[in-house]
Amino acid sequence: MLIATVMEELHDQDALVFQDELMHMLEKTDSQGVLIDLSVVETLDSFLGRLLNDIAVGARLLGARTVVVGIQPAVAVTLVELGLQLKGVRTALDVEKGMALLAQTSRRS
Amino acid sequence: MDRAESATRMQPSLDEQRKTISELQTPVIQVWDRILALPIVGSLDTARTQDMNEAVLDKIVQTGSEILILDITGVPVVDTAVAKHLLETVSAARLLGAEVLLVGLSTRTALTLVHLGLDLGGVTTRTTMAKGLQLAFERLGLRVVAADKKGPQPADEAL
Repeated sequence: MLIATVMEELHDQDALVFQDELMHMLEKTDSQGVLIDLSVVETLDSFLGRLLNDIAVGARLLGARTVVVGIQPAVAVTLVELGLQLKGVRTALDVEKGMALLAQTSRRS
Repeated sequence: MDRAESATRMQPSLDEQRKTISELQTPVIQVWDRILALPIVGSLDTARTQDMNEAVLDKIVQTGSEILILDITGVPVVDTAVAKHLLETVSAARLLGAEVLLVGLSTRTALTLVHLGLDLGGVTTRTTMAKGLQLAFERLGLRVVAADKKGPQPADEAL
């Protein structure tokens, strides 16, 4: 089961709420795969960057194959500057490629 | 025309020149569908890495490329700083879903990196661009097949 999530420009509290909701949804639905779509996010500060990293890694820890898509160039540069690599989380350019990636890894396991 | 005036007139063309030089220094080439190549010639400092990353990331978005072959044959010295810059490019490209293949490492560079205790964090490397391209094709499930010498055959050429 897949959850595709689109984030609007997240600010502090919204981001924390998002993290909370996502983790709960994962737990509740016992989802096998999560697709996090960031194409709407244009800028990232260090708080948001770290939160994003935590969300992605957290989802993975809950056993969901996690793919993050739509990271914009400026956001990528910020993440790299912050030394955040979204460890263990697959990334793809867009939703289409992300879904293909999720389907791929599910076939293997 | 006084100095200030002539300087103002020259500014746009200087900016243009700077832009051209920057583009020439980072020619990100689409060598195949979903495969980009970037031969780096010369030294790599922080400013150049930033320009490079910008050019690379924009090209990945533009072309939807999934593999970037970074060729450092033309980089004279690969030390800790340069290695760090290269890894930044690798990380950034990865975040956009592109895998980076590093090619063009000389024996001397390899030994230097070993000596410095840098293992480039699991980045896939090959010695030449050709080998990098071959690997890129494999990764994408592509095969190069010789055309039948007897004449054009239907549907037998992969790619």
